[in-house]
Amino acid sequence: MKDPRIWGLKKSPWVYHLAAASCNNCDIEVLELLTPRYDVERFGIVLVGSPRHADALLVTGVINRKSLPRVLEVYEQTPKPCLVIGVGTCTCNNHIFLNSYNAVGPYDKYLPVNAYVPGCPPKPEAMILGVVKALSKL
Amino acid sequence: MTTLAGWQLVLAFLIFPGVVFTSFVGLTLTWVDRFVSARVQWRKGPPFYQPFADMLKLLLKQTVVPAGASKVTFLGAPMIGFAAMCVTAVLLFYVNFFPHGSFVGDLIVLVYLFALPPLSTILGASASRNPLSAVGASREMTLYLGYELPFLLALVVPIIHTHGAIRLGDLVLAQRTAGPFLYSWSGLIAAVIVLVCIQAKLGYPPFDIAEAEQEIMSGVLIEYSGAPLALFRLTKAMMFFLMPCFLVTVFWGGLTSFWAIPELLAVVVLVILIKNTNPRFKIDHALRFFWFILGALGIIAVILAFGGL
Amino acid sequence: MRDAEAGLKSLIPEAEVFEHNPKRLHISIPRERLTEAAKYLHRERGMRLATCTGIDTRAGLEVLYHFSEDKTGTMYTLRVLAPKDDPRLESQASWFPATDWIEREMHELLGIDFPGHPNLVPLLTSDTDWDREKYPLRRDYERRNEAHER
Repeated sequence: MKDPRIWGLKKSPWVYHLAAASCNNCDIEVLELLTPRYDVERFGIVLVGSPRHADALLVTGVINRKSLPRVLEVYEQTPKPCLVIGVGTCTCNNHIFLNSYNAVGPYDKYLPVNAYVPGCPPKPEAMILGVVKALSKL
Repeated sequence: MTTLAGWQLVLAFLIFPGVVFTSFVGLTLTWVDRFVSARVQWRKGPPFYQPFADMLKLLLKQTVVPAGASKVTFLGAPMIGFAAMCVTAVLLFYVNFFPHGSFVGDLIVLVYLFALPPLSTILGASASRNPLSAVGASREMTLYLGYELPFLLALVVPIIHTHGAIRLGDLVLAQRTAGPFLYSWSGLIAAVIVLVCIQAKLGYPPFDIAEAEQEIMSGVLIEYSGAPLALFRLTKAMMFFLMPCFLVTVFWGGLTSFWAIPELLAVVVLVILIKNTNPRFKIDHALRFFWFILGALGIIAVILAFGGL
Repeated sequence: MRDAEAGLKSLIPEAEVFEHNPKRLHISIPRERLTEAAKYLHRERGMRLATCTGIDTRAGLEVLYHFSEDKTGTMYTLRVLAPKDDPRLESQASWFPATDWIEREMHELLGIDFPGHPNLVPLLTSDTDWDREKYPLRRDYERRNEAHER
């Protein structure tokens, strides 16, 4: 019998959407992901309104000097164990904001990221694949 | 037999129909809710073990208590609602199966017991030290003031029909002989009022004002995580089972009638369908709706009951 | 000639009008007459401020105020120039709320000072992790910033 904690986390990952200085394109795609067409509830994924209820943080957007302390604060407030999934190429390597004065590098410099989903914006199917891969690695 | 020995009471409280049975049935009904909602939206929906996986996951997660929150109240508030629901389960089933054992005023005791879960959320939200949960708590209080009035008016109707019996056992016995109160005009109106009040008490749309996810980030429950959150959700699941039981007991013939289980399922499915087809009320609209529209309907039902209809 | 253009020229004789195309006019005015011109276009002509843009050019820091006349669909753009050694422009925020945040952004990103602004605090850049003396949108800004480099 596998660890019940991991089983519970795998079968019912509750998702909190955290937009850190994003252009909102990935946010719109995350919103589409949660519509009946893609039906993520069959994996047990539910969008929750508070970081304290969350098991997975879906972070979007290139991390900013101004939003960095706030993203770290939200990560601290999420009860562990929790996954961090970076959605969009901006989270991977700053993408088009590569040499910008305000972008401070990929998320894994500051947070333990479980999966990146590249794309600008990634398709909802790609996001489902990313979440499922992150869950299966647990 | 109308009195239970000590060990039988403990068994009734813990296993059947107390904690274990009601939790199990309540969680299964939440799965029914998610399944019906999914089908209504043309999608598949979660597997049948989903609510149990949710509970397990929450129980094994880290519990975070916000700094500056009153620790005892914060952690103790969910237990109040949970304990109330466990006692309600025992009381309701006992009254249905042994109607001669009910005592004078147990209807009022049940109304008070059903008032404890909203109270425990208000208490927990106020102990959270968070402005959004304070907003949620004030909304929950206002909503409670709203729906309790027509709820009580509707409960007066069966009392009038049985000429003044405030024992649940007498209501059940009267329905066994004279037929369910639902099959009369005043009973029908009263049952509809109680159905809408169930929707509000459970915190389902259109009355999920206190726990509005998009507006105030889960309002009352914003700071809860881990085991206390699991207790709150379990209490809500138990209420989802016990409130339709209450409706069937008082209006539709009791839980021992032949049609009890289909009636329970019918009430549950009605709640789910109302939940899926309505947007959220604003708190002032909700208050006006409960007092002026449902309250007026309640008064009409009481007048009809006095007139014998 | 359009009425607004005529009215502006009679108010400020030194204004130079450049017609980019029939729907866009660029009007260069000295920076001391900015408030008068803006008040004239907004209050008496009823134009809406679409946005303001700023750029670092060889002649100095150039700020454009784009006013849109919605009745005809014409854009009237006021051009003012602030020299590099004295980058000051009169603040419009006290009578025109639309310019409030725009002036805050220009102050922190281009280094233009707006005396008379009620609340000239930075808007977009970080409060904790930023060097206030460096202006990113100026031509002489060093693109790679050492602190967060890998």
